[in-house]
Amino acid sequence: MSTNSGYVVEKPLVKGNHTFSSITALVADIVEKPTPLWWYIAFGISNLLLGLLFAMLAYLIWEGTGVWGLNNTVAWGWAIINFVWWVGIGHAGTLISAILYLFRQGWRTAINRFAEAMTIFAVMCAGIFPAVHVGRIWVIYWIFPLPNQMQMWPNFNSPLLWDVFAVSTYFTVSLLFWYVGLVPDFATLRDRVKSKLGAKIYGFFALGWTGGNRQWQHYEKSYLLLAGLATPLVLSVHTIVSFDFAVSIIPGWHTTIFPPYFVAGAIFSGFAMVMTLMLIARKIYGLEDIMTDDHMEKMNIIILVTGWMVGFAYIMEFFIAWYGGVEYEKFAFVNRAFGPYAWAYWIMMFCNVVAPNFFWFKKMRRSVAVSFVLSIVVNIGMWFERFVITVTSLAQDFIPGSWAYYSPTWVDVLTYVGTFGLFFTNFLLFLRFMPMVAIAEIKMVLPQADPHYYDEDGNEPEPVEQIEESK
Amino acid sequence: MAKTKLIDSIEFPAEKSPLKAFVAVGAIGILLSLVGLVVNTEQFMYSYLTSFAFFISFALASLFLVMIHHITRSSWGITIRRIPETFSSQLWIYILLFIPILLGMNYLYAWTGDMGDRHPFYADLLDHKSPYLNTAFFIVRNIIYFAVWSFLGYKLYQYSIKMDETGDWGIDNAMRKISAPGILLFGFTVAFASFDWLMSLRFDWFSTMWGVYYFAMSFQALFAFLILIVFYLHSKGLLLNTVTKAHIGDMGGWMFGFTVFYAYIAFSQYFLIYYATIPEETLWFYVRFEDNWSIIAAFILFGRFIIPFIVLLGRPAKSNFKVLKFVTVLILVSHLIEVFWIVMPTLHADFKLHWIDIATFLGFAGIFLGLFFYQFSKNSMIPKNDPKLAESLNKH
Repeated sequence: MSTNSGYVVEKPLVKGNHTFSSITALVADIVEKPTPLWWYIAFGISNLLLGLLFAMLAYLIWEGTGVWGLNNTVAWGWAIINFVWWVGIGHAGTLISAILYLFRQGWRTAINRFAEAMTIFAVMCAGIFPAVHVGRIWVIYWIFPLPNQMQMWPNFNSPLLWDVFAVSTYFTVSLLFWYVGLVPDFATLRDRVKSKLGAKIYGFFALGWTGGNRQWQHYEKSYLLLAGLATPLVLSVHTIVSFDFAVSIIPGWHTTIFPPYFVAGAIFSGFAMVMTLMLIARKIYGLEDIMTDDHMEKMNIIILVTGWMVGFAYIMEFFIAWYGGVEYEKFAFVNRAFGPYAWAYWIMMFCNVVAPNFFWFKKMRRSVAVSFVLSIVVNIGMWFERFVITVTSLAQDFIPGSWAYYSPTWVDVLTYVGTFGLFFTNFLLFLRFMPMVAIAEIKMVLPQADPHYYDEDGNEPEPVEQIEESK
Repeated sequence: MAKTKLIDSIEFPAEKSPLKAFVAVGAIGILLSLVGLVVNTEQFMYSYLTSFAFFISFALASLFLVMIHHITRSSWGITIRRIPETFSSQLWIYILLFIPILLGMNYLYAWTGDMGDRHPFYADLLDHKSPYLNTAFFIVRNIIYFAVWSFLGYKLYQYSIKMDETGDWGIDNAMRKISAPGILLFGFTVAFASFDWLMSLRFDWFSTMWGVYYFAMSFQALFAFLILIVFYLHSKGLLLNTVTKAHIGDMGGWMFGFTVFYAYIAFSQYFLIYYATIPEETLWFYVRFEDNWSIIAAFILFGRFIIPFIVLLGRPAKSNFKVLKFVTVLILVSHLIEVFWIVMPTLHADFKLHWIDIATFLGFAGIFLGLFFYQFSKNSMIPKNDPKLAESLNKH
């Protein structure tokens, strides 16, 4: 028989002895209080950048894609890099909201709401690039298989077309998922806000939510179904993005490990972005009780693990490029590491494979400064990963006569900068007008939500033997 | 909080151990294999490699499961953890079982010999690959793999047993500390081992996905195997209240998840090679879709993806033990057939089952399961002092 009578008490997910009502107040007050000055400043800057984006896109459409730095061999430049980068960032939101939900990871509730918001805004930024890179944007609807008198159809064999479906499905499901989760919290805001117009608007989006038993049952069921639907999307979107490259026979693009390698990279960069935003948001809004250092540590572990998955893929690619004995593959990889773009390759290696190793140490995982810096380093590295994949494989193609060094133009750079304007404009609006933490879900992970929390006489429990955590 | 107490006996009663049966099966298998070795050495080597790659995949996947369990501090699987722990603690035995492969390398791996009357292309290619594909380095690499796995598997088992004896919860941290770097080493060693054992059967073929593919196959099959072992224990009236419907349902969920993961990996590898149609890559699938090998390929597709996917999609299937038993057996059979389909087309242009295939399988089954039950009955069937045991028992 067991001699084990102890019970490990999990660290509480929410710190600071919160009650149900104090959680509501903590999150909902952000929306109800007057708009702080910094918000106007940040919103103003974001709007300027958004204006810059529109200007760049207008210029592009007016002049044509010649304003970008594309050349003979590099026909896919910053546009595809930025597309993949933004789509990749979005993946963390879906992973947190769907996969971690199915794995019953209670800690996700602190970050899922704004990770999902991040997903939606990142996919918006991503979607711009494939749309505008076609050159003649006024016939963009040709990407959809619409019956037409010309009997002209998109090429169903092309992963670029699958991308249209994959990304739009992904956006739709992410949006639905986000909205379903928001319904109970909109109802909370509807009941709290003072302004009549506010109550009306929140009330409209709350769909008449009263918090009744039956409503909760429907809600839970639909949430589970959406989580199940969203889970394959975590894999499928970036898999198809990887197919854009890997189905070709371009050396450096065509390799079988691409699908899981791209998915791991997407989660890697997405978590880094969530980390960056979370650390800023929790500081500004004083949400350290909800987004605790434990959350930070768990996310850093995921960053470390996915970083090594990406590192594993780099090493496999390099090894097989040699082992395969195919001349062109060998050239492509040696060229990556020692060719004209070696600087980009080594930035990528350092940021993605070397830098995350700080997270082997508990002290580093729990340090706000280290986490913040590394989260940005990782996203720089992931941008360069896409740069290395796209540009190095194209620039030195099969005909040495057409080799040329690829450089972006000012339009390339400013368009990319402009997408941050779109992202942050949306994100700031979200922070200002929506509950940035899932209020109802956070309450479910409070100890008081456990039906066995109070004993038969209604007393609070005493903590039993506790295991000391380290490492 | 309500506490569920451990009410089952956690000792494996000697009279219920099927050890003798497995010793008998193993002995027959080994004897027949020895006959096979003399009669048809080449066939024996291929059959042996198939059985080896099949059985070690469970031990390797077990090691991964144990390590990931420690790292994530999971509680759900504490009550079944001793089973994969036992498997992975026996990884050192495969050092001995690998010796025949080393001795018979010339039969298995064309790269060990000269190219004879083949096209000069192959001689050049082999020359290029010789810094990696040479007998000495092959042996060194395999020593490294087995050293890493044996150490991790044995050490984690020892720690777990020590916790049984002392009840010291600090050991939990020690296990976590070796599991984290362990996972990293595991990833690289398994990938390269799968290159060495299976991919280099055709030294002119390559796929970056290969390591992930072998792992994905193994991990899916492991859950099928674990569920079957739990059913066996239940049929003997053991651990009925310890490994409950909830735990089996969770394993069913994992099995479903990794059925999808396996399919994702296998499909991605196939699809990218199919789409690009480069001869140096398609050659591997070309021989495996020829003649009746294509029927085998179709069986694998249905046996370990389509049927399990449809059956396991709903929640009720995971708590219906009859359905689960059917699916687990189907997955295990498919796993064996897939390993066979990977190895054997190198030798035979057509699919045919040789009696030596069965002989080596029985030999390995006897050794693998015999040793498992021998070891499993030596200690308690669950980590009885694990800090999260109570939480795991509480699952419902």
